Amino acid sequence: MSRPSDSAIEVTALRKTYASHRGTFRRTRVETVGLDGIDLAIQPGELYGLLGPNGAGKTTTVKILTTLLLPDSGEARVLGLDVVTQTDAVRRRIGFVFGGERGLYWRLSGLDNLRYFADLYRIPPDVSRRRIAELIERLGLSGRERDKVEIYSRGMKQRLHLARGLLNDPEVLFLDEPTIGLDPVGARELRVLVRELADAGKTIFLTTHYMFEADSICDRIAVINKGRLVAEGTPASIKRLVEDQGVVEVEVEGISPDHLAGLRSLPGVTSVSVGDRELAQVVTVRCTSPTDLMTHLGVVLAGVKLQKVSSREPTLEDAYVQLIAESS
Amino acid sequence: MITLVRAAYSAFYMSMRLRVVSPFAVLAWLFFPLIFAVVGLYVLARPGTAGPQLVYGVLGGGLVGFFGVAYLDGGLSIQNERWNGTLEQIFAVPTPLWVILLGKVCGSILWGMLSFVPTIAIAYFGFHALVPHLDAGRFAISFGVLTLSMLAIALALTPLYALWRWALPMFNGFEFGFCILCGFMFPVTVLPVWAQGVAGVLAPTWATRALYASTTNDGSHDFGAWWLAAIGLSVLYIFGALFLYRLIDRRARMSGELALA
Repeated sequence: MSRPSDSAIEVTALRKTYASHRGTFRRTRVETVGLDGIDLAIQPGELYGLLGPNGAGKTTTVKILTTLLLPDSGEARVLGLDVVTQTDAVRRRIGFVFGGERGLYWRLSGLDNLRYFADLYRIPPDVSRRRIAELIERLGLSGRERDKVEIYSRGMKQRLHLARGLLNDPEVLFLDEPTIGLDPVGARELRVLVRELADAGKTIFLTTHYMFEADSICDRIAVINKGRLVAEGTPASIKRLVEDQGVVEVEVEGISPDHLAGLRSLPGVTSVSVGDRELAQVVTVRCTSPTDLMTHLGVVLAGVKLQKVSSREPTLEDAYVQLIAESS
Repeated sequence: MITLVRAAYSAFYMSMRLRVVSPFAVLAWLFFPLIFAVVGLYVLARPGTAGPQLVYGVLGGGLVGFFGVAYLDGGLSIQNERWNGTLEQIFAVPTPLWVILLGKVCGSILWGMLSFVPTIAIAYFGFHALVPHLDAGRFAISFGVLTLSMLAIALALTPLYALWRWALPMFNGFEFGFCILCGFMFPVTVLPVWAQGVAGVLAPTWATRALYASTTNDGSHDFGAWWLAAIGLSVLYIFGALFLYRLIDRRARMSGELALA
């Protein structure tokens, strides 16, 4: 029996550890914390994004909610159903799509893949025929559905994944990094589709580490790090966490760890990160006063070839970086 | 119920389609059995040696192929699902895993039976070997019992392959040991007593014994006891399989190993 609940997904004090072994001859058991007591409540029809670095617990959360993993403790309910004890009922009403190219039978056609999974979802043949035709049309696979999956582009494979996830017309759809590895156009098309599904009333639980993705399509987001939720709210409210700050981006050549340490030691600097852009390195400095920072830059970065210095408003990514830095 | 049957059939059909395009599957039903059949027939069909033992050459290669496919194919198919990343997908559908694996195992059994086609053909056309004293009725029953025992072994082993990643290489290493113990290429009675004891707990041993006995005109065999032994052991394997399928659901969800290649 499902328990009446306003939430489409409800998670309470969820905890999961993984056991593995270290060493070849002298093996010692090692426990890694995947989730360390998280709480979530996601409303029906909401598009909810879970953000976090690799190994933060995003996929573990999705796998528990899709009945693929058992938690050590805590409770997780989807549509009021317990994911531990009411697995069959949960599986009938959810869909899931994991990122990456795996998860399909490459030597068979897209149509064969969909027909097979429709049977495994125990969908009556007349319904599955109609639904498969609709999904092929809607996801832009028309004309290619009889081709083998091995010759599909990465974007087509991901759309086929999404079609498979929608075969049983799920009320809740879990998407684990669905745009990973897609080109910008393919990723944008997929985001549009996901938003349309949410607008059509489906509850969507999305994990990603693309901030602009979460910012552009999610109704609410949560940031997870080391198995714990460190922030939750609308993208705008998360961004407000750093609204009193500014961001200075410095394009440089040949910056050293000492220079970065010098930047971090400046008053008002909350975080410093380095990325690559074409032939230069981009140092992103988040600080309370960009104007003050700029006056110190020349001294701290003495000997470094500065190409460009610019200041901008903080984004969701800046808020995310700060949250992760504070919780690490 | 109808949707479950359709799911099992779909798993069977899908597994057959994937086998048709798999070089390993062709190796398993065609080349390996042929090698065993040719060697067996060469040894047993030489002038002066042909006799009642010749049937081990005629059927032995096919039995080795049949067993090999039933014994390992479930594991290979689980391993392929793992590599494809589809093992998690088929685990998280509303169809119970045992139904999907039953469909796959039925595919293995049918595929394994194909081994008899090239081996009997090479015996007949290549070595002019015949089985003149075949008791068709007893042969058919024995073959049915043998098929049941292969199905039971495949059903019991397939969840082990899903649960335990070491199972496939380990059981692969034991394959030919089992072929010897089951008496596919020569009678179990030539084995040491301790080995005959081990052979006795293998259902195909009894079914194979009955199968070979049905090709002779010696009426002194206890077919009923052999069939019962094979069926009884097969039922025990199926009970073991049911336990393993319950275990798989819990263990796989605890360890999260279904996704790992």
